[in-house]
Amino acid sequence: MISRELLDELQQLGRTDKLAIIQMLTDELAVDEAKYFKFGASYDVWSPYDAPEAARTLLGMLDDEREDNG
Amino acid sequence: MAERQQFPYLSIPNAQGTRGLRPFVPITLSYNQHKRQTLGLLDSGADVNVLPHELGLELGGIWEKQQIVMQLSGNLANLEARGIIIEATVANMPTAKLAFAWTRAKGLPLILGQVNFFMAFDVCFFRSRNLFEIEPRSADLGVNDEQENNA
Repeated sequence: MISRELLDELQQLGRTDKLAIIQMLTDELAVDEAKYFKFGASYDVWSPYDAPEAARTLLGMLDDEREDNG
Repeated sequence: MAERQQFPYLSIPNAQGTRGLRPFVPITLSYNQHKRQTLGLLDSGADVNVLPHELGLELGGIWEKQQIVMQLSGNLANLEARGIIIEATVANMPTAKLAFAWTRAKGLPLILGQVNFFMAFDVCFFRSRNLFEIEPRSADLGVNDEQENNA
């Protein structure tokens, strides 16, 4: 949670200091991300997250199966 | 009778050599008198269940006999997939019939997606506690949700 006091202090900083703060935060975020991702690496995403037609087809198969089994 | 059960996230190595916690659930698949115990990746973002090619063959599936062809997306889009219905048992829960997109792709995990794993089972993720819970939803196949899915 960012306090009102901190925001007030940041807003009172000069342009150079504000840019320095932005740079510092950007660097910290980059370090955080490096914990989870390697630069230049490729990551397979197998998840068929946008396959509505396939979903409908499978639902139809399940329906047919249920009808066949009474 | 089976109730809600807890499972731990498993620490699985990835291609980059690091390990990550994944919601893999132990599952037994039965088809054509063949039975295989394996791990299924719970993927609530996946529209469908996906059966890797080699696992389908181990279960006695015959590719040429599966006549229903479907189009997948993402990494799986360029490879043919065919529909197949398989009996699946999670832990000691009642057996459910799951419909899979059986892909030609190899080297991927068994994916348990919205159709129809997440229709047959209720799943709660507690990643901060490194566990998830699964509860069988009902004895039917979850096909009552068809209207929702087609909407």
